Amino acid sequence: MNRSTGFRNKLIYLAILIAMLIPLYLLGQPAGGGTGDAGGRLTQMRTDFNIAESELGEINPASETMKLASLGLRGVAATLLWGKAHDYRVHHEWDRLKATLNNIALLQPHYERVWEFQAHNLAYNVSSEFDDYRQRYAMVREGTEFLTKGVQQNRKAPRLVWYTGWFYGQKLGMSDEKKQFRRLFADDDVLHEALRQHNIAVDSPEARGADNKPDNWLVGRLWLYHGYDLVDAGVKIRNQTPINFFETGPKWRIKAAEAMESEGVLDDRARAAWQQASDDWQSLGRRSIPTTSTFTIKLGALEELQRERQEALDELLEIAGETREQERQILLDSLNDAERLAWETPPAERTEAQTNLAYQLTYRLEPSLASVARKAPAPVRLRAIELAAAIEDLDARIQKTEGHRNQINYEYWLTLTLAEQEERTVEARRLLFEAEQANAAADLDLAIRKYEEAFALWAEVFDDYPVLTLDEVSDDLMKSIRRYTIAMDQETFPDDFPLLQFVELMQNEYRSSEEYERLRNLQREKLREKEEAQLEAERSTSADADSL
Amino acid sequence: MTLQPEDFWSFTQWLLRPQSFLESALLQGIVLVILAIVLGLLVGYIISAARYGPSEGFYAVARAVRDFVRFDFPGTSPRRVSALARLAFKEAIRRKVLVVVALFVVGLLFAGWYLDPRSSDPARLYISFVLTATNYLILLLALFISTFSIPADIKSKTIYTIVTKPVRATEIVLGRMLGFIGVGTLMLVPMAVASYFFVTRGLRHDHEVVDITDLGNGRFEGKTSYDQYHEHTFTMDPAAEPGADAFGLTDAVRGHRHVVRETDGKYLIGEPTGALRARVPSYGTLVFTDRAGNLQEAGIDVGNEKARGGYGSSGVARLIGATREARRYEHGYMEGGTLGSAIFTFSDVTPARYPDEEGIPLEMGLRAFRSIKGDIVSGLNGSITLRNPDSNQIESSPITFVVQEYDIAEERLPRQIEGTDGTETRLLTLFDDLVTPDGRLEVIIRCLDSEQYLGTSASNVYLRPAETSFAWNLTKSYGSIWLQMVMVIAFGVMFSTFLSGPVAMVATFVCVLLGFTAESIYDIRYYMDKGEAMGGGPVESLVRLLRQDAMTTQLDVDNVANKVIQTVDSGIIYSLDAIATSLPNLPKMLSTAEYAASGFDIFGSLLARHAVATLGYFVLAFVISYFILKTREIAA
Repeated sequence: MNRSTGFRNKLIYLAILIAMLIPLYLLGQPAGGGTGDAGGRLTQMRTDFNIAESELGEINPASETMKLASLGLRGVAATLLWGKAHDYRVHHEWDRLKATLNNIALLQPHYERVWEFQAHNLAYNVSSEFDDYRQRYAMVREGTEFLTKGVQQNRKAPRLVWYTGWFYGQKLGMSDEKKQFRRLFADDDVLHEALRQHNIAVDSPEARGADNKPDNWLVGRLWLYHGYDLVDAGVKIRNQTPINFFETGPKWRIKAAEAMESEGVLDDRARAAWQQASDDWQSLGRRSIPTTSTFTIKLGALEELQRERQEALDELLEIAGETREQERQILLDSLNDAERLAWETPPAERTEAQTNLAYQLTYRLEPSLASVARKAPAPVRLRAIELAAAIEDLDARIQKTEGHRNQINYEYWLTLTLAEQEERTVEARRLLFEAEQANAAADLDLAIRKYEEAFALWAEVFDDYPVLTLDEVSDDLMKSIRRYTIAMDQETFPDDFPLLQFVELMQNEYRSSEEYERLRNLQREKLREKEEAQLEAERSTSADADSL
Repeated sequence: MTLQPEDFWSFTQWLLRPQSFLESALLQGIVLVILAIVLGLLVGYIISAARYGPSEGFYAVARAVRDFVRFDFPGTSPRRVSALARLAFKEAIRRKVLVVVALFVVGLLFAGWYLDPRSSDPARLYISFVLTATNYLILLLALFISTFSIPADIKSKTIYTIVTKPVRATEIVLGRMLGFIGVGTLMLVPMAVASYFFVTRGLRHDHEVVDITDLGNGRFEGKTSYDQYHEHTFTMDPAAEPGADAFGLTDAVRGHRHVVRETDGKYLIGEPTGALRARVPSYGTLVFTDRAGNLQEAGIDVGNEKARGGYGSSGVARLIGATREARRYEHGYMEGGTLGSAIFTFSDVTPARYPDEEGIPLEMGLRAFRSIKGDIVSGLNGSITLRNPDSNQIESSPITFVVQEYDIAEERLPRQIEGTDGTETRLLTLFDDLVTPDGRLEVIIRCLDSEQYLGTSASNVYLRPAETSFAWNLTKSYGSIWLQMVMVIAFGVMFSTFLSGPVAMVATFVCVLLGFTAESIYDIRYYMDKGEAMGGGPVESLVRLLRQDAMTTQLDVDNVANKVIQTVDSGIIYSLDAIATSLPNLPKMLSTAEYAASGFDIFGSLLARHAVATLGYFVLAFVISYFILKTREIAA
């Protein structure tokens, strides 16, 4: 190879290089900023999928440098760091663990699961390794702050925001050391300042508890609502069911009220807290929640749906006239001998096989609304088909709504918030609290008096809200009843003991799903009666007014 | 910092291992030298035989050995060596290696981005950062400068301008090595100075007094401003005399305190103190007692995940299969409210060594483990009892404490303490009653809360007879880095005598890497020998990876395939094990940084061990390089 061929080769290489750069240049061209200039294909795709760095969250120079410095071996570096983080955990090197986690997050700032996993690691696993509750709190705080950093760097990650809210509520408010954690949080001015910088209004009444200091549940709730705002603005919820996502915020307000009462705040403040909790829970009922079906549902609209369905059904049956009966007759005629025999034998005389067969036939012999509609008289047939389709759609909606309501125990919490905001319930709790205090102070006479007053009130509360027997309060109440029997020095209860039924219920392992269902139905009836009584009262008042 | 058994060995113990010579460093060295000689002669003979025929080859090898022993080695002239070293030095400088120092400074400038300012022990983070950064940079540099020089000379034929002069091969090798060591040293010094200032300045910060309340009697209590993610509270003692300055001390936060001074009603908060320390610990031996008071070698295992590694200290004994188990100290726990305890026996406890009238400083880093929630608000309680090892009847009343986890708690063992001498309760004198005439003292630690546990290991409770300066300790860590650099340069030069530059670099790098991964290789071999499924060797791992099998399940392949995989894997792992065992233990040397970072004085014996090992490898690399160069000269 002589000099000139060498030079020629170099030129060819250069030309190839340039030729390869041209498509790259065209593909990667940045947007011009003007209208119609969306930039190259890569830029467009970045914009379309919202994966431009500036779209995702705050740009962190440290993170960018680190990504650059790892020369495309980001994954390898992160894997090594994960291994290191684990080693540090085994060696109880918490400080270094934290430092390594920070570096992992710098390398992979948009991996939501990394933030979530490691924040959980710090707040739940590492914090429990400390003996001093203040150190434990500090570690929980590290976890939440780590998550907050994740939120900053991932603007479109509602789950991270939700998780932050979850930490503030669940970890600080439900741990063994919740009393200490809640106090430390309320006094943590530095954290409050940091929260302010994240636009969490810790100074607003929305975040303040009974002592006018920030309450962990309410601050958590503000985070959660911040996430709801994100979703309402059009960001998709990923890796979480919408119902679970939306339920937590209102729930945290309930938890805040519960925490307030358990700490002995049993006055108007507690009632107000429950009122707000009730409002929040009802607003959850009014929220449109996406489902796996094509439609969204509203948890609070179940009765409305059921009413609509009934109306549609009534109309369909009315316009269909005799068609339904005719259809049923056709189905009846199609039965074979054995089936017919089973069906026609009176239930008491059926053999076991016949009973089973008859049970199956009950469903088979009911003509579907769609077939009734199709066979309806010609002038109304179109309307009938419309109605049948509407009923089918409503059925699907009702089923979904009921499913979702059951999933989060919607009705129970609704009732709870209604019951708890009554003056009588707060009074019942206050009496019980005072009785416990008197008992602890060995003032038995006072304790017994307060216990009895409290039990009488609780009996009334349970009468109106039987579902409350499923609440945590029932466990506490049961413990109080035991202490009362000890104070009274008696083992059996007199017949007129107001909570006799409740005690039997508690002793009978009542927590079966059937029992629960029964209680819920009972509760529903009670509420209906109450509403009717109220309506009646209103009607009679207005009638009285009219007559006057 | 939890030390492992080998960390406690003195220099002689390490070198000779009186109880088990098989594990000794000396034996390892001897085996290595014999192996090198045998292999060297064999390879030399094969090469020579191929070149000159079987008999002539033998004479060639014999001549080479004779030359070395009779002429080259004794005739090595320091003057020529220094001239060659100067050349190597200049050459390296010309290749702009000083850029590495600039790189280091840039690293320091941006370090703040990656160092967590909220760390609970920033000093530790800063020190370990600078030391590891320097370590890796210097090793990388040593790798580059040492491996490219000779191959480049040979390629450009400039080596002939040297070899044609009356220069011996020993001088060429030694000159290169020393020259490169000179360059490395020249760069290490500014890096050390920069590190010192980086750490001390990085930790420096101010606070202001934001709140002060009068406690009466001229005493005050106050709070400082929140700076650098922390704040302190402090108490002021009354001034010694009216008009004089009053002094106070803040609480310890993030490993430091500040002195507070009051002058004319103004409060001044001094610089942070206590963050950069170099404690000189005096360790004792540890035994436990169980709940019934019976002596036990280890404490209770509360089920923490075990750390890996700890095979390296067994040396040749492990390689030949005489020892298998890893030697590690784990935290042992003692049960509270029972006779369970941890008994430390300290020796050399003399008034001359502990002159402080206030008592002997005892430092503890204990761990707590709760089996029940217990009292959440208060920490677990423990007690320290002093006992005379010769006469168990003589013991002090317990000194109680509340455990401070992940922090070093400082206690004083008073010179006079209430206690019993077996017959009556009286005031015991530490050095007369509790310490034996030969200077031994037992310190017994117990957990006082029942159903709760306190944990410790041999290095977590110690007496502190003295403290050295941080600067000196940092210098010692740099000494350790220097030794590693020497090692890498020696290997680099050795490989560069027969490999081309890039290949020599890769070879040296592999040696360094093998040194760092030695413990994992030993671990794999351990499970292989034991016949326990734990991922297996490289081939088995690959199969598992592809099949997505867990590492502890039995390998699900047919018998023949299994046999083949196992055989190949054993071959690879046993060879790797042999190579890794014969290579210097770099991670052990790197771990001296941990001492400086954790605020412990680096033991002299540890540095001496590293120095001797380095010297050994240096000499070995030098001799090997000489012979190879000699062979190449013959070829040329």
